Amino acid sequence: MDVESMQTHPVIGSWRSRAAPSRPSSLYLLCWFLGSVLLAFLVIPLVALALTQSGTSLADVARMADVRAAIVLSLEGALLSAALAALVGVPLAYALARTAFPGKGVIAALIDLPLAVPHTVAGIALLMVFGRQGFFGEPLQAIGLKFWGTIAGVVVAMLFVSAPYTVNAARIGFEAVDPRLEKIARTLGLGPWRAFMRITLPLARRSIMTGVTLTYARSISEFGAVIILVYYPMTAPVKIYELFLRFGLEQSAAAAVLLLIVSLSLFVLLRTLAQRGAEQRENR
Amino acid sequence: MSAGVAVEALTLTLGAFRLKELDFALSSGEILVILGPNGAGKSVTLETIAGFHRPDSGRVLIHGRDVSGLPPERRKVGFVVQNFGLFPHLTVAQNVAIARHADRAVAASDPAFPPHGDPAALLGYFGVAHLAERAPQDLSPGEKQRVALARALAGAPDLFLFDEPFSALDAETRDRLRDELKSFLRALAIPAIFVTHNRNDALELADKIVVLREGGIMQSGPVAEVFQKPANSFVARFVGVENILHGRVTELSGGGVTLAVAERTLRAAAPGTPIAARSPVVLSIRTEDVTFCSPCGERAPQSGVNRLEGRVTALRRVGPLLTLAIDCGFPLKAYLLASQFRETKLGVGSAVAAEIAPEAIHLMTE
Amino acid sequence: MKQTLSLCCATLGFLGALLPATLAAQTAEPTTLTIFAAGTLAAPFRQASALFEKKYPNVTVQAQYGGSVMMAKKITDLHQDADLLAVADYNVIPKYMFGSPAHASWYAGFARNAITFVYTDKSKYAGEINSQNWYKVLARPGVEIGRSNPDTDPSGYQTVQMLNLAEKYYNQPGLERSVLANAPPTNMRDTETALISALQLGQIDYLAIYRSDALQHHFKFVDLPGKINLSDPADAAYYLHGVAHTKNGDLAGKPIVYAITIVNGSKNADIAGKYVTLLLGPQGQAVMKNNGFGEFSPAYAVHTEAMPAELKKMVEPWPGS
Repeated sequence: MDVESMQTHPVIGSWRSRAAPSRPSSLYLLCWFLGSVLLAFLVIPLVALALTQSGTSLADVARMADVRAAIVLSLEGALLSAALAALVGVPLAYALARTAFPGKGVIAALIDLPLAVPHTVAGIALLMVFGRQGFFGEPLQAIGLKFWGTIAGVVVAMLFVSAPYTVNAARIGFEAVDPRLEKIARTLGLGPWRAFMRITLPLARRSIMTGVTLTYARSISEFGAVIILVYYPMTAPVKIYELFLRFGLEQSAAAAVLLLIVSLSLFVLLRTLAQRGAEQRENR
Repeated sequence: MSAGVAVEALTLTLGAFRLKELDFALSSGEILVILGPNGAGKSVTLETIAGFHRPDSGRVLIHGRDVSGLPPERRKVGFVVQNFGLFPHLTVAQNVAIARHADRAVAASDPAFPPHGDPAALLGYFGVAHLAERAPQDLSPGEKQRVALARALAGAPDLFLFDEPFSALDAETRDRLRDELKSFLRALAIPAIFVTHNRNDALELADKIVVLREGGIMQSGPVAEVFQKPANSFVARFVGVENILHGRVTELSGGGVTLAVAERTLRAAAPGTPIAARSPVVLSIRTEDVTFCSPCGERAPQSGVNRLEGRVTALRRVGPLLTLAIDCGFPLKAYLLASQFRETKLGVGSAVAAEIAPEAIHLMTE
Repeated sequence: MKQTLSLCCATLGFLGALLPATLAAQTAEPTTLTIFAAGTLAAPFRQASALFEKKYPNVTVQAQYGGSVMMAKKITDLHQDADLLAVADYNVIPKYMFGSPAHASWYAGFARNAITFVYTDKSKYAGEINSQNWYKVLARPGVEIGRSNPDTDPSGYQTVQMLNLAEKYYNQPGLERSVLANAPPTNMRDTETALISALQLGQIDYLAIYRSDALQHHFKFVDLPGKINLSDPADAAYYLHGVAHTKNGDLAGKPIVYAITIVNGSKNADIAGKYVTLLLGPQGQAVMKNNGFGEFSPAYAVHTEAMPAELKKMVEPWPGS
């Protein structure tokens, strides 16, 4: 079907939505234009930062054991934070999506609150509760769980600022699942748990994964709340800051670029795996 | 206490909505249609029977046992919803296989039916085995219905529930699927409750009808009875009666009733429940029961048949038929075939005489 | 005739409207004076700036506070514009600002301070600790001490130098190690003020910090002997014996002197000079004293030849430089 015949013989039917438009609409162009502006805004500073480094400066900083340890600590802490967010946040999101109760709007707003709290304030609030004399900190310290200067403290700080992403994305995912499908699963003999695991969760999977990935990413970058609780061992952002104080811009930038490369590779890997999984399911 | 279903005095409050004292029953092999406008509580009733709402009082019996306290997964109910509700992330085969295995066989009147819930055999019985690896989104409505039935049967249900499965389909597909469903259900002999707002569904599928309005039953009974003898104006309108007239009883005599409607007199057969003289009454006459002649000539009306002279006020095409609106002191509607229309050469303003048999006039109090 | 009249009126009106604008332009334009200062200078500098703004109404003082090294690096590495830099350790200026290109050419000491340990009622052994037994109390097991990172912050290495001096002063070998055992890396931060909330919340019992902070926050504090707390420039030779081993090398103890300089290339150099004049003069010194700092009068300065004339009058060359 060539362009001329499309224009002289307009045909109604579903094929039209599948074929590319012969002349892109102005809406389409505007979207791409504005989108490119945003992409440039996000990418150019990072590229500019990366270009200040050469292969050797990156190799030098990668050789520093404390820099490697800091990056590993950040990745580990973020992984634990994302896992905890999924474990506790997904059920919360399901409850919010399915039940109606007075004060639901307030709770939903409360979940967004950590995003608005300045990070230092969040850190101090967490120290108040998880510190040596804190409401949770004191009894937990007695059984050997400390948050001051430990990976537990790192995870707590990361989780606080990034959990909302998982909850919000999961809630939207669950809301998009037709409750009648869950009801049908029940009538087929699946109890509430099985119906959730076999029907609801798989259908909401994509949204949940998006939220968890955001939580992971946000956790890696958290500085202000983490540094109140944990300066040592150092996470990557803290290490980068210390390098800046001790040496200067060049070395801290090198560590920053190294962190960026590691993070980027990880995200690309995660997205590719998620995409492959989705394609496999669709092609079956 | 057989393989039947009964709902007794079911009352439920759901927010601002209430189901009031619902009572009905059906036996194995029967299809009961719950008919009512949107918001009447049809879906809520179905969901309560399936176990998704806890009633305030009353009980539900399936296959002789009281399931009122059981969660949905223990009630052995098959549920089919609008657009059939197939799980989009599973293949057809996986959809059917997901049901928890039945611990007893399904007794069906069709000997070809696979007695045990084997997914492959079920797909074969419904003729959709070749679609086993397909995704539900790629199926036609007819194929979806078969898969939905196969899936529901994989759980060996004692009762089928259908919640307006055809609502989103065009008329032709709807008719075809309805016929198919009817023959499947007959072969399976499992009781089924079908919910709809479309009276054609009721007419085609039902053995019994329950007419529901705002959470309460307006009338329930065999389909012929509800359609021919509606209990009140609401039911009458809902089952498609187009002639609802207000009149007065003038005389009770000779095994019949004389009525005054507008300025005219009509004779009707004696109603089932006694009726007082000079009481107001509402007449319900199905459109297909109104015949006419034009011109009538020497032909005298058959004995007892009411003949009313009048004029045609409108002619309207309704599918294969035409509706004739007649003014004979009060408005009446009658059907005519296209062939009749060509023969009689009727038009707006033509003189016609409507004829109604006394047995066709049904009397209601409201 | 009418046309000419209205034209004249219009011109006069137009000029009249311009007049206030030109008048305003002739009085001095509002200036912003940017100061980067150490965190511990926050309180006194706010008061000093208020005095300054009263004296020079068309000047607005905008100050940022943080770790001394961080503030210096904002100028040298991040190329942020500042008119004045004030640090908690006078060594920070020659170390970071005197290089090439030179971001500063001189500095003047304007206040003294002392290292101390602050604590609250909640702190362990708060009722017992005093100027004689402090090093024994701080070494007890279970006591948590906070301090700043010696690799990045003056008070960090000054604390270690003080402990090193204390060993010799009290003749207690191992004192430094035993106290630092209660101040592990987990209790460090890049600057000591970040640990104040930790002290208030009871996460740590004692915090190594400046005496001025103790007085400003109304904390209890231990009065350490002048021979070890780095407070007196007269004891400078003695202080050299206190050594801190850091990632930046071995640092010998020096008196804690706060120093200030005008950043090279500042567009408001003359106004900045007036601020320094205020600071070094009786008003500024009174502010520093009221906030718990030691006075520094007359002020010492290094590279006096590079200083503006009116400032040169107020300082003496730094002894020994």
